[in-house]
Amino acid sequence: MSEYKKPLPLITRTSKVFYDGCREGKLLYQHCRDCGEVIFFPKELCPNCMGRDLEWLESRGKGKIHTFTIAYAAAPPEFAEDQPYVLAIVEMDEGYRMMSNIVDCDFETITCEMPVEVVFDPVTPEVSLPKFKPVVRKK
Amino acid sequence: MGSIRGKTAVVGVGEVPTGMYPERSFIDAAVSASEMAIKDAGIRKEDIDTVIPIVVVSNALDNANMICSWMVEELGLGRTAKSNFQVASGGSSSANALKTAAALVNAGLSKAVLVVHSDRLGTGLDLGMAITMFAKVSTSQEYEMPYGFSQLALAGLLQQRYMHDTGTTERQIAAVVETNRKWAALNPNSIFYKKPITIEKVLESPVISSPVRARTMNKLCDGASAFIVTSAERARDLTGQPAYILGLSSRCTHFTVTQQPDIFKAWSPAVDEAYEMAGIGPGNVDVAELYDAFPTFTLISTELTQLCGRGEAGKFFEEGHAAPGGKLPIQTNGAMMGQGHTGAGGGPALLVEAVRQIAGKAGERQVDNVRHVIVTGSGGVGMDFHMEVLGKEV
Ligand SMILES: [Zn+2]
Repeated sequence: MSEYKKPLPLITRTSKVFYDGCREGKLLYQHCRDCGEVIFFPKELCPNCMGRDLEWLESRGKGKIHTFTIAYAAAPPEFAEDQPYVLAIVEMDEGYRMMSNIVDCDFETITCEMPVEVVFDPVTPEVSLPKFKPVVRKK
Repeated sequence: MGSIRGKTAVVGVGEVPTGMYPERSFIDAAVSASEMAIKDAGIRKEDIDTVIPIVVVSNALDNANMICSWMVEELGLGRTAKSNFQVASGGSSSANALKTAAALVNAGLSKAVLVVHSDRLGTGLDLGMAITMFAKVSTSQEYEMPYGFSQLALAGLLQQRYMHDTGTTERQIAAVVETNRKWAALNPNSIFYKKPITIEKVLESPVISSPVRARTMNKLCDGASAFIVTSAERARDLTGQPAYILGLSSRCTHFTVTQQPDIFKAWSPAVDEAYEMAGIGPGNVDVAELYDAFPTFTLISTELTQLCGRGEAGKFFEEGHAAPGGKLPIQTNGAMMGQGHTGAGGGPALLVEAVRQIAGKAGERQVDNVRHVIVTGSGGVGMDFHMEVLGKEV
């Protein structure tokens, strides 16, 4: 098995909870029990009310592409071999946005507002990265 | 909030040519630009009591040294300077430096402030280092870096969504580049002096990070510029035509682009406040110097500053209205697309150009009867938005 050469996420007190969830196939985000704010990226303090009573909830993992770009050249060196790849900002149904890659699809078909769902890519034994693929419409 | 309308002015500007200058040291360029600004202002250097260098991107040591009074020593201000500190907010550094300088002067804490920028993004770091560095700034190490973000990807992400929201075409985006290069062709300080480009040439270039093409990216360059701020009262005694600071305002919104709110809602209050303080509206703007970094941002800023309605800026550029001879000249020095990307230097260069347009010193690019110029700035991945209104009269 080849060694994973791309940057791994910095693991902190809050990001550890998030990536522990990913390893178990759960996409987690935070919710403020004091004011109801949906929070992502995870934080120590609610940016809306400064409350500290933040709970972790599991996302349904569904959203739509807010915007995207296909990197053909001049990507960061660790990603050069993967070119072309899709970098996107995904708007989750729960109301937060995250950066990710769009995988398992024909690049030509990607559009803004396209519905996508999460898939977990186990890049190392410790880290599974949430990525997204287009939702296949049921016939 | 008390208005500082008309109480301060920019009285002198300096700029060295932008381009690839491996033999030119970054401090020499900074000194040359400052010398020009001092002579342009007709001010005694002893009257400058505050020096504000702007953040250096290409070299961490140069950056650290700039805040440690290097310019104070070089210009011999060691007996008169009271303060020397840096402003660092990327592309909005010049806006923040102008605001800080005006506030210090208005408060009576400084008599005259020299703001100076110098950087060597063209020859001071190789392309690989530049790509690596720009991939790691303004992004979350915890949640974004694993996916291959870069500043080029940022341009792609923003352009894609802007085109989706407004129906702006690739040809219209290319028209911004053509317009920038028409102005740059008239600017002896630009790397693209006498080198215009056509829309067709832009559209022929390969896609790098869709929908961004090679020729819709700006070129990393070396450059330096400087300007001096003093009170309106003192400005009248100096030589030349001061550019009075009539209005300014700004809004900061986010760190990473993922968290970018609807900028038209979040940033519009800054535009409204700046116009209100200045006592003018978009219809009174004679020239606009809009911070770019890439052409989509020019279009967004043209709409944010109400020079065009939402989604109408692309057509405006395509029809040539922003170009030399057009009804509303925009980015008359060529901006970063036309003059090159010098790190935080795109901001001060635009401010310098605004002052030149007001003072009637813009050479072949001079627009007739300039009374009001607006200047914008934005740092990071569009983390903030600043607008200033400069005027010929108070
Ligand atoms: Zn809260």
